[in-house]
Amino acid sequence: MLRFGPDHGPHVIAALPLFEEANRTRAAMIDILRRLAARGIGAALPDLPGAGESLIPTEQATLADWRAAFAAAAGALTGPVHAMTWRGGALIDGEAALAGRWRLSPLTGAAQYRELERLRQIGGGADHAGNRLSPALLDELDAAEPLASGALRVARLGGDPQDAAVRLPGRPLWRASEPDVDPLLQEAVADDVAAWIASCAG
Amino acid sequence: MTMNDIDRAVRAVLRDALGLPEAQVAAFDADTPLFGALPELDSMAVAGVLTELEDRLGITIDDDDVDGDMLETFGALARFAADKVAA
Repeated sequence: MLRFGPDHGPHVIAALPLFEEANRTRAAMIDILRRLAARGIGAALPDLPGAGESLIPTEQATLADWRAAFAAAAGALTGPVHAMTWRGGALIDGEAALAGRWRLSPLTGAAQYRELERLRQIGGGADHAGNRLSPALLDELDAAEPLASGALRVARLGGDPQDAAVRLPGRPLWRASEPDVDPLLQEAVADDVAAWIASCAG
Repeated sequence: MTMNDIDRAVRAVLRDALGLPEAQVAAFDADTPLFGALPELDSMAVAGVLTELEDRLGITIDDDDVDGDMLETFGALARFAADKVAA
């Protein structure tokens, strides 16, 4: 698990978007964690089984595994612990004991599934943009929704017409074909997350 | 939603989904070639463009709708989007 900032006190635990979107947004997310650390908030980005450096192949990963791994990672941090998730990352924070959940552009599992299927279709049908995903994971995904209880805050980008508590400036980095960063967006995310955590504590 | 709104939305989607500079998309006209001409618009990027168009315009794009023609030029894509909005 990647960690920044103080070991004690409030923590933010982050979840990247799922699948290929994770690669595109990792640098941006890490920049945000550094910014939070600079504000005195401990920040963590756990590895998920079957992703990144994990030894488990992606095709064996399940949403249940990811939720359990995220919950375990959150449990290892001193509190209060808030989740900060982007896109499909919102689907894996439901089992963790958290003081709150901050989400950027969350989507339902069904919407994520539709996007994966679109990618597969356009890419010729063999796999999902180079990922071989198990039928079990796809089934879980189709039924999954972000947890709707507890302290929640949804942020969206300017072009997104869906409801949000706050609209942030910047580009949907998860759409870019190469990894990219947007300092304007990253600063805005760090500001909003830090302010919300402070208001939750107050 | 006016044609102007749709035009602006399509430009914004191409800018955001492909990471193109604002000046480049502002200069797109009806004949500006897209798929095959823009290196950023590979098949994975097409998926992102279609989904962003759906989300921003409140339309549904079926797999059958997707062919080389609708992505050939900016004009073709804008017309496709407008037809979907009107449907």
